[in-house]
Amino acid sequence: MKKIFLIITAMLALSFSSKADNLRILAEAGDEATLTAAIAQFEEANPGVTVEASYLGWDDFMSTIKLKMADNDPPDLAHGNQGFTVDGTLIQSGLVISLEKYANAYGWKNLFADGALAEFMWSDDGSTWGSGNLYGISPVAEDVIVYYNKDKLNSLGLSVPTTFAEFENALKVSKDAGELPIALGGADGWPIIHVWGLVEGAHVDPSQTRSWIFNAKNTDYSTPDRMKAAEKLADMASAGYFGSDSLGIGYDDANAMFIGGEGVFNLTGTWMTADFNSGMGDNVGAFAMPRANGGVAGGGSFALPWHISSKSENPALAAKFINHLLSNEFIDDLMGVGRVPAQSPTIDPTSNLQAEVIAASNALVGANAKTFYTDWATPGMYDTVTQELQKVIGGAASAQDFMDAMAAESVN
Amino acid sequence: MSTKNIYRPQSKIDYSLYLYILPAFIFYIIFVLFPLADTFFNSFTQWNGISEKKWVGLDQYINNLQNKKITSSIKHSFILIIFYSVLPIIIGLLIAGIMIRVKINGMATYRAILFLPQILSMIVVGIAWRWIYAPKGPLNSGLDFFGLEEVSRAWLGSFDYALPFVGLIGTWVMFGFTMILFIAGVQKIPTELYDAAKVDGAGAISEFFNVTLPNLKGEIIVALVFTVTLALRNFDLIYITTGGGPGTSTMIPSMFIYKKAFQMNQVGSASSLGIMLTLLIFTLVSLILIIFRDKK
Repeated sequence: MKKIFLIITAMLALSFSSKADNLRILAEAGDEATLTAAIAQFEEANPGVTVEASYLGWDDFMSTIKLKMADNDPPDLAHGNQGFTVDGTLIQSGLVISLEKYANAYGWKNLFADGALAEFMWSDDGSTWGSGNLYGISPVAEDVIVYYNKDKLNSLGLSVPTTFAEFENALKVSKDAGELPIALGGADGWPIIHVWGLVEGAHVDPSQTRSWIFNAKNTDYSTPDRMKAAEKLADMASAGYFGSDSLGIGYDDANAMFIGGEGVFNLTGTWMTADFNSGMGDNVGAFAMPRANGGVAGGGSFALPWHISSKSENPALAAKFINHLLSNEFIDDLMGVGRVPAQSPTIDPTSNLQAEVIAASNALVGANAKTFYTDWATPGMYDTVTQELQKVIGGAASAQDFMDAMAAESVN
Repeated sequence: MSTKNIYRPQSKIDYSLYLYILPAFIFYIIFVLFPLADTFFNSFTQWNGISEKKWVGLDQYINNLQNKKITSSIKHSFILIIFYSVLPIIIGLLIAGIMIRVKINGMATYRAILFLPQILSMIVVGIAWRWIYAPKGPLNSGLDFFGLEEVSRAWLGSFDYALPFVGLIGTWVMFGFTMILFIAGVQKIPTELYDAAKVDGAGAISEFFNVTLPNLKGEIIVALVFTVTLALRNFDLIYITTGGGPGTSTMIPSMFIYKKAFQMNQVGSASSLGIMLTLLIFTLVSLILIIFRDKK
């Protein structure tokens, strides 16, 4: 009996003592390589601290994260997702804490340009977005840019487009030469959001698009500029620039096609850099989409935000870990695992492609041209925008139909 | 006459017998009845899944009925009934009818192969067929080989063809089930009936309609109930193959339930749609049972 009592006491003591220095992380699976590197360094720098990370694939993560954070024993640190659907709900329900205290102590806001962190700023009741207190942060930038097949562009006698008109011309020349101008995995729906983000960005002032995303209900969606962008997308689709089968091809398959030499351009996010690099070597380049009136346009944002649970027993340790992710020492490690750091790296890029991607990313940051993702605007927007974009790509809806459906969802 | 003398067996129900079903019943309560009651309650609330529930009465039901996307998704479900239910039953009956007349060697093997789709996971089926229907998949390669390049296309990416082609996957999955059901049913039909039909000079077709079909009524009802239910509550196949797209051309109510609950923070609305779908299935199944009821 005594023995059992001893064992129980020992177990309680162990679990108690381990809890204080134990950090539990729940992350979206795309961050596994990043975290594996960060955790090893963090544990070494902080003896006695153990970090346990678990991962879920995108769909599973997004459909369960709110319930996991509402649990009685949630992870200390977890990813969210920008927008009302995840971040807004977590803040509204008081499940995550404001990071203001830690941001000030560690100086996180000084790391980025003014206003750059707007996508992580919320009112404390989670009702307004784009300003207020800092509720999340990420060390990684994810930009939507244009990747291109260098051999094909050269053999078509084209150079890297510097205006949107040149880009359009490159599409036409590619099509006329029997090439697939743009590799697009439209069956999944969301990859078309990236294409739309760039076409919209080329025509609509980025700050206008951002204010619409932050406050869709009270911002006019149907502006003449955006109508022009929608018409442009519809024209590109009817000209066959996405091929005739894009709605039957998934995102992964489209990228595999592009790596395999099908498609001159691929409009997607910088998270694909490592895959393209290993698949295509020096035959792939990247640039930021040029705007119609000069400058650059880009979708994208920071990567998924890190949140600290309001039930965490050790929020300070969680903040310390976030600070490690944001630290100067870790920036170069982010490059090592193929990610694009949101801050300027101190080491040289590891490949031509990475150099071009970072140049494109810097151009977007410099021009304050990032316009996030259309589906952030309202909880129902993901559904509406993917369905309506599929209709535009498939020729089942006109630019006007698209604008009407989007404007209706904006105020929903 | 007094009823006193009539022998009545004493009610001797041994209540301890109920103990045997208790464990299963507890599971049934926890995993079926409780969630059902909870969903029913949630369907009258506005709730994002974690915050306070707000009672809104029938609002969610009214909103669902007024949502054109939802009503058109119900239309898609009825089209899917043709593919999930009507076609498999016709094919199953045909095969059963042929098997009465024709002896085929190694029938057990063929039966097993034809039944195979039924035991495969829908996820596996969905992934396999997505590959078959892919722009450069076997179906299009086959069409191209026969010089039908004009016909080949991205089947699941087509606004016109996506729904029927997803439906055909359902036909492929379900006809093995109806076939086995009908073959088993045919074997219990007394051979005297067939002999009598032959004596009366019935041909194969008349034999099928006068002997086989009427005697398979029970099996047809079972097949109808089972396949219609599946057509209406089907989720995995659509989720894997098209996700409801392109546009909303393969959208079905169960996809909306998933999207509302897990993407749009509308658990109350998702619950009400779930209850509506349950009621719809219940009504259709009742109709089937009433229409085919034995009129003795």
